[in-house]
Amino acid sequence: MKPTASKLGPLTSKDRLGALLLLAFCSAYGLLSQDIVLLPGNQNTAFHARTMPTFLTALGITLSLLLLLFPTTHAAHGLRGINWLKLVLFMLLMSLFGLAIRPLGFILATTAFLLISFALLAERSYLRLLVIPLAVAVGFWAIMELLLGVYLHPLPAFMSGIN
Amino acid sequence: MLEGLLIGLGTALSLHNMMFLLVGCFAGTVIGMLPGLGPMSAIALMIPIASTLDPAAGLIMMAAVYYGAIFGGSTSSILINAPGVASTVATSFDGYPMARQGKAGKALAIAAGASFAGGIIAALLLVLAAPALATVSLSFQSTDYFALMVLGLASVAAFAGSGGILKALLMTTVGLMLATVGSDQTQGIPRFTLGMIDLVDGISFLLLVMATFALSEALMAIVKPDRETGLAQERKASQNLGSMSVTRDELADIAPAVGRASILGFLVGLLPGAGATIASFLAYGSEQRIARPDQRRRFGHGSVRGLAAPEAANNAAATGSFVPLLTLGIPGSGTTAIMLGALIAYGIQPGPMLYINEPGVFWSVIVSMWIGNAVLLMLNLPLIPYVARVLTIPSQILLPLILLFSLTGVYLVTFNTFDIQMMVIFAAAAVIFRLLEFPLAPMILGFILGGMIEENLRRALLIYDNSWSFLWERPLTLGILCITIFVLIAPLLRAIRTR
Repeated sequence: MKPTASKLGPLTSKDRLGALLLLAFCSAYGLLSQDIVLLPGNQNTAFHARTMPTFLTALGITLSLLLLLFPTTHAAHGLRGINWLKLVLFMLLMSLFGLAIRPLGFILATTAFLLISFALLAERSYLRLLVIPLAVAVGFWAIMELLLGVYLHPLPAFMSGIN
Repeated sequence: MLEGLLIGLGTALSLHNMMFLLVGCFAGTVIGMLPGLGPMSAIALMIPIASTLDPAAGLIMMAAVYYGAIFGGSTSSILINAPGVASTVATSFDGYPMARQGKAGKALAIAAGASFAGGIIAALLLVLAAPALATVSLSFQSTDYFALMVLGLASVAAFAGSGGILKALLMTTVGLMLATVGSDQTQGIPRFTLGMIDLVDGISFLLLVMATFALSEALMAIVKPDRETGLAQERKASQNLGSMSVTRDELADIAPAVGRASILGFLVGLLPGAGATIASFLAYGSEQRIARPDQRRRFGHGSVRGLAAPEAANNAAATGSFVPLLTLGIPGSGTTAIMLGALIAYGIQPGPMLYINEPGVFWSVIVSMWIGNAVLLMLNLPLIPYVARVLTIPSQILLPLILLFSLTGVYLVTFNTFDIQMMVIFAAAAVIFRLLEFPLAPMILGFILGGMIEENLRRALLIYDNSWSFLWERPLTLGILCITIFVLIAPLLRAIRTR
């Protein structure tokens, strides 16, 4: 028999899962707040650089625990029907776009980003796969460069003659 | 006031600003029409362009994008029963049944007309209310501002919907935490920078807004494809809109409802946190209650009053929410929080002094609301059948384009590739919290107000010689804090009573 969401235990509910994630975040925030260096004499003042973070840590942990104990819904989390592979691939693609935009230049990086994105989303028309990314990249670059005066390296440094 | 209005008219009616107003209305409508992309995403997507303009033009364009997106959201509500934003949910109650009866054109015309009337009436009330409130707020001190900001955050959480208060408060806290990243405002002590030089200036507001709204919305559509079914339906619906003409009887039926809903919407919009969603539901509910029995039966089955009232109310509330932003510098909603961030980026500190120091900006935004609403009516209504065709762009083309414009929009402001990596991380977190149904708007509000809350609290403590007694010694501060406690406790009491 297929296990239902409720049989997996209450911790898998939307609210509790979110509360657990935020509890971890708030705890990490609290730990890092202890690394904030105070200036000499600051310890005795009512307000210093660590005051707000300390208060927020306490508030965040309290609220997370309250939500963990009193969730507003016991509905199972909706993380199952999600195409996680696609999410990871798009995350990687966006990150790579960020890394490539300077060395490859705007036009090449943008064309590659769009071409791979279209392909990942099952676009199979070769005409669309090639023409739209290039047209968007060149058009966008032209608007920036020619109309708004924003300079973007269009091509890789070795092709633009920049060392 | 007349002088101010003339200054505003002069600024808003300049060819340069009119052009950006048109662009804003059009872009807002197109973006707002795409299911899932609401006013916040629309404004976020337009910030990189607005940041290249002068403050008046930039704000006029963003305000135009705001009500353009609300109008665009109504279109997807009416055509395919897929409200892009919560504030247009009530519109779909009667708008969608009308569309199914082959009266989509008429429903769109009524929605546009009611939005126009709501916007105009509210802008008129704004002219009367804003200067008065700005004058009163000149007597506010840091302690009062601190209390007001806490009230603003609490109100947003309290209006988060049934059972959502704890989640909204938690997300607000996360926003406040993110606001502490970077150098401490007065002493320059680095906080939470993890030794990275790129974090010394803190997290960029644009980056956070783009990642949590535009980017995560597009990613949601990619990872959860059932959300896109609306696009296919809209494609069919947009091809057959029917007649757009409204009969005289229908007009007579709508007019009083629009008047009532506009005033109600404006008043609700004034309250921090309430906003357009609450206004539209309240207007729909109150019209249903006061309707004659025969009219009441038509609610939910294509009633023109049921469609016009929430439309007028949500636009009026959108206008009303500008009052606390422009006069107190405190945003009443996620959208106005983004506008506040943009104002600060321009080096303009909203608040009572904006009315005195920057009358051109203050009044041109108000005047642009009138002009913008007229533009929406005259330009968008005839264009709706054509604008709706943007939805015929296949999602496998449209979604990567949204991703690209979000990423490059942020990159073009700082030219720092680290920002793109940060966006990816925030977008991933936003997708997860969206899937878990945690609200993201309170986080943005917390992030925007975080720095100001800390600064005002620090100043208040300085004035009161490191004593927290200002919390109970100053009557105005105490009064606002009492309201805050009430706002937080009321939903809990209601929940206990319901159980």
